Parts: sequence; C-alpha cells; structure tokens
Amino acid sequence: QLTPSSLLRIGQLSNVDLNEDVHELETELPRQRPNEIPHNEKLLSLKYESLDYDNSENQLFLEEERRINHAAFRTVEIKRWVICAMIGILTGLVACFIDIVVENLAGLKYRVVKDNIDKFTAKGGLSFSLLLWATLNASVVMVGSMIVAFIEPVAAGSGIPQIKCYLNGVKIPHVVRLKTLVIKVCGVILSVVGGLAVGKEGPMIHSGSVIAAGISQGRSTSLKRDFKIFEYFRRDTEKRDFVSAGAAAGVSAAFGAPVGGVLFSLEEGASFWNQFLTWRIFFASMISTFTLNSVLSVYHGNAWDLSSPGLINFGRFDSEKMGYTIQEIPIFIFMGVVGGILGALFNALNYWLTMFRIRYIHRPCLQVVEAMLVAAVTATVGFVMIYCSRDCQPIQGSSVAYPLQLFCADGEYNSMATAFFNTPEKSVVNLFHDPPGSYNPMTLGMFTLMYFFLACWTYGLTVSAGVFIPSLLIGAAWGRLFGISLSYLTKGSIWADPGKYALMGAAAQLGGIVRMTLSLTVIMMEATGNVTYGFPIMLVLMTAKIVGDYFVEGLYDMHIQLQSVPFLHWEAPVTSHSLTAREVMSTPVTCLRRIERVGTVVDILSDTSSNHNGFPVVESNPDTTQVAGLRGLILRSQLIVLLKHKVFVERANLNLVQRRLKLKDFRDAYPRFPPIQSIHVSQDERECMIDLSEFMNPSPYTVPQEASLPRVFKLFRALGLRHLVVVDNRNEVVGMVTRKDLARYRLGKEGLEELSLAQT
Amino acid sequence: LCRVPLPALTLALLGLAAAAGPRQIPTLELAEELWSAGLPGDLPELEPECRSLLAAFAEGSAALTDCLGRRARPVRLCQGCHGHYRRLLAQYGSIARAVGNSSESHNCAKSILTSDRLQIVVTLSEFFNETWEAANCANCLKNNSEGLSNSTEEFLDLFNKSLTCFEHNLQGQAIDLSPNNYTEVCKNCNETYTKLNDLYNRLQRVNRQGGESEHSAHLCIDVEDAMNITRKLWSRTFNCSLPCSDTVPVIAVSSFILFLPIVFYLSSFLHSKQKKRILILPKRIQSNASLVNIQEKYS
Repeated sequence: QLTPSSLLRIGQLSNVDLNEDVHELETELPRQRPNEIPHNEKLLSLKYESLDYDNSENQLFLEEERRINHAAFRTVEIKRWVICAMIGILTGLVACFIDIVVENLAGLKYRVVKDNIDKFTAKGGLSFSLLLWATLNASVVMVGSMIVAFIEPVAAGSGIPQIKCYLNGVKIPHVVRLKTLVIKVCGVILSVVGGLAVGKEGPMIHSGSVIAAGISQGRSTSLKRDFKIFEYFRRDTEKRDFVSAGAAAGVSAAFGAPVGGVLFSLEEGASFWNQFLTWRIFFASMISTFTLNSVLSVYHGNAWDLSSPGLINFGRFDSEKMGYTIQEIPIFIFMGVVGGILGALFNALNYWLTMFRIRYIHRPCLQVVEAMLVAAVTATVGFVMIYCSRDCQPIQGSSVAYPLQLFCADGEYNSMATAFFNTPEKSVVNLFHDPPGSYNPMTLGMFTLMYFFLACWTYGLTVSAGVFIPSLLIGAAWGRLFGISLSYLTKGSIWADPGKYALMGAAAQLGGIVRMTLSLTVIMMEATGNVTYGFPIMLVLMTAKIVGDYFVEGLYDMHIQLQSVPFLHWEAPVTSHSLTAREVMSTPVTCLRRIERVGTVVDILSDTSSNHNGFPVVESNPDTTQVAGLRGLILRSQLIVLLKHKVFVERANLNLVQRRLKLKDFRDAYPRFPPIQSIHVSQDERECMIDLSEFMNPSPYTVPQEASLPRVFKLFRALGLRHLVVVDNRNEVVGMVTRKDLARYRLGKEGLEELSLAQT
Repeated sequence: LCRVPLPALTLALLGLAAAAGPRQIPTLELAEELWSAGLPGDLPELEPECRSLLAAFAEGSAALTDCLGRRARPVRLCQGCHGHYRRLLAQYGSIARAVGNSSESHNCAKSILTSDRLQIVVTLSEFFNETWEAANCANCLKNNSEGLSNSTEEFLDLFNKSLTCFEHNLQGQAIDLSPNNYTEVCKNCNETYTKLNDLYNRLQRVNRQGGESEHSAHLCIDVEDAMNITRKLWSRTFNCSLPCSDTVPVIAVSSFILFLPIVFYLSSFLHSKQKKRILILPKRIQSNASLVNIQEKYS
C-alpha cells in the first residue's frame, strides 16, 4: 500500500512522462505473459465500449447550435414527434406480421401432426407420429437457429438484456442494425413455430428498438441508403431517446399495454429521463398498440372492432367469480413466495447452463445442434406426456383449437394435449379461462414440472425467443393447480376459481424470474384489463422479488453479468466510500498535444494494445518542464474523421482550396467510423501538424483525485459520460475514469468485489 | 291522488289475467268491471286489438315452453320446436309493430312492452331468443328457417339407422350379458357408425370454415347431442373403439431422442476446447507493479 504522498509523486511523475512520449514508456512496460482463465461471471469484456451520451461541445457544434434559430428548433421538435409516430406504426406492423405468420405456420404444423396422429391411433404406429413431430420441430428450429448463429448472433435470446445495456450506455456491437431486426423477426417466427418453450413477446422489444434506431437516423447503413432526413439526430444522445421509445412501443405491441411499455422503458431501460421524452414515448406506445389492434382486427374479419390490442391477450377477467376478497390477500402473498422460490431455482439452473454453454458450446454448429436437440426433446416430452395422460374431457362446449383424441373415447379430447399441443400463448389463455374441471391436478402437476425444465433449458439457446410467455405458462399451470387444491380444501367454495389463481401464479412466476416490479404490475393489469387486480398483482410481484433476490438476481441481470458487460447500476456499491478517484482511475493516460504531429496521432490510434477512445488534449508547450494543463478532450472517431479529411496545419498554410470541416462530416461517418487501418497517411504527411483546438471538447468533465467513488459514479451515471478526466490541483491530467473502471466494483457475497478485464 | 295507481294496477292485472286465461272477457263486461273499480268505462287501459295480440303471444310462449321442456332429453329442440319459435317471433313482431287506433302515442307496443318496470313480454321473448341462439338451431335449419336443412336430414337419417342397428344387434342377446360382450354390435354396426362419424366431422369442418364468429363454431344442439349419445354408446357402453396402443416403439423412439442430448453434452464437454479468456492487466496506481519501475527509472 502506497502512502498518499508517494501516490501524489507518482501522479506527477507519470504526468511529466506523458508530456514526453507515452508510447515509448508503454512499450517498455514489462508485459506479463497473457493470463488465461476459463470464463466466469467476474469479468469485464473489452469488447464493449461506451456510447457518447455527452455531446462533444466543440466549436463546430456551438456554431451550428447558434445558427439554428427558434423556428428551426421547433421543426426539430416536430420531427421528433413524427419519428415517434413512425416508430409506433412500424413496430405495430412488425408485431402483426409476426403474429399472423406464426398463427398460420403453427396452425399448419399442428394440423399436419394431428391428422397424422389421428390416422395412426386407429391403425397403430404412433411412433411415426412422434418422429414426424420431432423432425418437424427440429428442422424448423434448425433454420431459425442457423440464421441466428451464423448471420447475426446478437439476435439470440429475448434481446431485453441487450437493449437494457444499450440504454445504459453500453455499445453492444450490431445490436440496432437492420440485419439484426430481420434475423430477429424470422428467428422468432421459426422458434415459436418450431414448438420451443418460448414466446414472441420479448423479442418485440428488441425489434421496436431497432426500428426506432433505424428510423431516427433516416438511413440504413446495411442497405447503403441515405434518405437525407433527420440528420440532426445522428448522434448517440438523440438515438438513445428514440430507442427507449422503440422499446416501449415493443412492449406495448406485445402485451397491449401502452402505459406498461412506458414504465418498462423507465424501469428497465432508460437511464436518462425527462418529462417531454416520457410524453413522446407514451405517444409511440399508443400508436403502436393501436396499429396492431386495427390491423389484426381487419385481419380477423371484424374491422374496427379493436379487440386484440396485444400479441398476447389474457382475455377478460370481469366475471363475478374472478373478483377477490380481502381474505385472499394472504394466499396471494404466499403464491408470491412460491413464485420467488421457483423463479430463483429457474435462474440458478439457467446460470449453470449458460456458463456451460459459454465455456463449451461456443461454436456455431454446436449451437445449432443443441437448439435442434432441444426442439426434438420438447416434442418428445410433449408426446410422451400426452401419450401417458388418461385425462379426457368432453369436446363439447370447449374451445380447443386442435383437440387430440388419442386414447380417449370418441367425442372426448386429451386434456394434456391442450397444454402441450398448442402455441404457448394459447395455452396460457386456456389455463386462465377454461372452466373449473378442465384439467386434472395430475395433468397440471406433470405439465408444470416438465415445462419448467424445458423452459429453463431453452432460454439461452442460440435462437431468438423470449422468456415471458414460458414463465407465464409455468406460473399459470401451478397457479391453477393451487386454485384447484384450494377449492378442494374449502369444499368447493365459490371464491376459489382456478382461473384467478392461475393469473396470480403467472404473475408470481414471471416476477420471480425477471424481477421487474412496477412495469410488470402495470403490464399484467393492462393485459387483463382489470384495474382491481392491480393491488394483488403488485403484492405478488413484490413478494416474488423480495424472496427471489434473497437467493439469486434476476434473469436479465444475470445474463448481462455472464456476458461480461460493463453495466452501471443506479448507485455505486454501498461500501465503496473508502475508494477515491485516484484508486479507481486508469493511469498513465495517453494524451495529445493541442497541435500534434500527424505521425504521433496515427501511431497512437493504430496501437492495438491500447484501444482508447478518448484522449485528453493538453497545452502544446514544447518546454516539458512547464506544467501542461488540460485543455480539452478529443474522441477517436473525431480524430479519424480529421485524418480522413487531412485537416493539417500545413495544408491550410499552403492556401490549398479546402472546404472547412463541418459537423456534418462527423455525422455522416456516424455510427460506423472507419478503422484507422483504412486511412492512408503518407510519409510526408506524417510530419505535418494537426490542430485539435477547434474539434476537441474544450470543457470536459473533470474530478479531482480525492473525489470518492460514489461521487464519481454519480457524475458518470447521471450525465451519461464516457470519459471522466482526473486532474490534480494544477489542472494536469493524472488519470482517466471510464465505464469499465467503475463497473468493475460490484457488491458480491463477501462485500466489495473487483472484476478483472478480459479479452473475449 | 293516491287512488289513481291502485285501480291502474288492478286493471293491468285483470288485463293480463284475461289475456292468459282461457276465459275471454268481452269488452262490455270489461267496461262494467272498470266501472266498478272506479274508472270511467270509456278509458280502457288496453285496446281490444292489443289485448288479442297479447293473448296470442301468451299462448305461443306457453306452447313453445311446453315443447322445449318435453324435448329437453334427448335433445330434439330444433327439430320439434322451430315452428313454435317462428310463430312466437311473428307474434312478438306484430306486437312491436302494432299501432292502436286511439292515438299515435298510445299504441300497443308502448302499452304492452314498455309501460311497467317488469316488462314481462320483453323478458320472455329475450329468453326464447337467447335459448335459440345458444342451441345454435339456425345451423341445422334451412336459410328461411322452414324445416331442417338437407345435411341435417341426412345426418338424422344416418343416426336413426345406426340406432336401429344397435338395437337389432342387441336384441338377440340376453339381458344379463357381461359388459365386454358387445363384439357383435361393434362388428355389424361399424360401417354405419363410421359413416355417421365422418359426416359429423365433415359438417363440423364446413361449419368452422363458413362461420367466423364464436358461437356459430358449434353445430346445432340436436346434431351435437345425437352424435354425443352415439359416441358414448359406442366407446363407453359397447367399448368398440379400442385403439391399438403401441407402447414399445413409442418408448424406444422417445428414449432414443431423450438420450441424444446427454450424448451431445457429454461429448462437447469432453471434446470441445474450453473457451479461455485472456486477462488484461489494468493500468492502475496500486495494482500496477511496473509503476515502481517508472519511479525508479525517472527519479
């Protein structure tokens, strides 16, 4: 442990070094042999970088902002509203597309399998039906998994963790590209049709976000089309706001819950928030659910009926039996406890599985094979359960879509088949609304058990699919079972309606797995269309979260951690007050002088060992003994644009006719700046000088070395910074705090933990 | 002031009683009665035309109720009662349309349908309509609701045939036969039963394709119930539909498929190279040992 005085000295020393030539120093540092360890959850990946949520307030920016008058700002505001409307409409349309295609393809599949089973039930040879079902599932899932694994791996999973990271300020490569959207939509259709234990609701949030990010930029880099509109919004700050609107529109289309969508964005996503943004996001959500509603009602033949506001519709819960009394509240809370425990078990199992997958199943072909196997096993488990079930229900008066008779008497159907032989969304609604007595307790118990493991196994596969619906389904099954046993215990009291308990069980299970509170309460409330359920659902979700958090964290947070993403939570870890900026920062810092040699800049940028993105700019005083104070901060992307346009002092002096660089040149390159390798700088040009003063951000945020970690964290988190310069009392650069420096402190089981950086 | 409602009520009751009961009260007699109740005779509560309409409706609903009740089990509602229902509809329609001759505001529709809180005529007609809808009778009637549709006739024909076949084959046997001894029936009636079943399934499919809305997804109750009875007889009582259960191949195939993931995970655990992460040393003050070197070098 160094004493403060020695630390100070080191700070000064390294600062002096910086002014000479940091590069030589860095290469001289004795580099240890690369230390290899197996993947674990206590890592931060170097792959992830921050987004620039803080505007670089350089001269160009200020000039442009000054040029824009009041009326022009109003136009910008109107454009924001137009974009939000478009986000809503397009998200709704994508949701419609997914819904219609899934309905038709899944209907086709189930009809084929049903006909086959009916045929072989009479003649014998049901093993062929089993094979047919398993092969159909596996081949559909194979296609779905292949496009994800080979074309766009970031489209795997529900996408909610990724969007959460994006809104937190982490740049996940490829996450908001058009290609990702296409793969996501196709992938989700194929995995639902493939009969996996997945839902199509989670991916809608990702789809909405991609749509938002795409529209707000007015161009597509994937398609190489630039519509020359919305150029003002081509920066991370603006894009982020639209992405949160897109996420909200996605939730709203998925569940028919516009308010829930806004709250979801608030709770899970947007780390940065204001009232106008909320109002715009709400607008986008409403448009989205309305679009879905009107298009689907036209599709279903009763135009302007507006009866299907979301992809999943929980149906109406307004009959007298569905009401609850105050005496039932303790029962609901107990269900919340059960949901929390089961959710924690789900997450813990999924944690081990995901760890195994990251370590061993990292090759795309293995991932595809795994997905196919899961699909085949899902079909097999379903078939065996249906085969073994002797729970027959009369077909009359029931609304089963694909009644399988199998070994039941004529005119009856297998009750297990309504749960397994159906898309998960339909099964959830059946569990909520089928009249009491439609399911045997035995059937429900077996179904819960099997589906629990299947869903847990499925989440984390390389297919794009969500976990909302499987969680709801597991919860609805055990909730209904609970309700049935309750009515058995109370000798069939009127209040013990199994549908109501199925709903509470679904809420408890989902809350126990994803640990969302406010937004999930509102989403469930809006999806049931019954405001009086707000109170019990809130209690259930609260209990589930408290109980679950006692064991493990939520599924999304867990996956973010397993991906080694430098995610910043709301607050710094509670016991971190003893740490100061001096211990947190990275040092020494690679600095640039205000007027720098081009060769130095190119060397710094092309150095692979230090892939820095922000460089403090110091006074270009040739006299090294003098203090060189901090003058500003310049980003790698800006430097690259400068090099590309060859903005060199000598060229300006030579009176070459040269256009003055504008902010537009930086925007045009956004968001995919070319790598430094693609920029050619000749030997002569290396000797030129480059003047950064016009392009750097002259007022970067700084903290003194003595600032505590929570203070640094607050500044960083609240302003959405990417670089925070640490200076001493003479305004000399001592160190730099970036996202990874802050994210590596985490509250673990034994107090404060420090994560290590790793190349992944 | 207080006396006015009471005679009015008596009047209404009298009127209803008169309409429903077999005893018809002539107009003259009514006037006398009214007189004795304290009301002027030239101000009748119900006009004669209205009274007769009401009486017709009451008779019609009684007949329909009788018909529905008698045909509740086995269900023959649509076949037997569609005439009654149609007549009742017409009667109700004429009440709703009819206009008394005294004045525009004092027509039959108003005085019969909406002049009291109970509105018994409306309630009755709603009840019949709902029952008819729930039974889905429109489905097995012709488009103009006169008589059964062709497909229904065909179905009922087949149904009767199979019932006859069942009876025929059971007659020969003794009454005290064991429950499993219905092989004769199963063998002989299989053809008719299969035909009936197929026809039913076909009707159902056609119906489902035709109708989009919720309740028309069902066939009419007569057909459904007939099929239900037959199926119950066939597979519960006679135990005829014995599907061949091929448990062994199913177990074999499923255990093979369930075995595959184990192989997959084991092999990938054993053969796949574990992914290693390369740790990067952060450049920090206390963790960076090389800083000491810098210090030495430059001091």
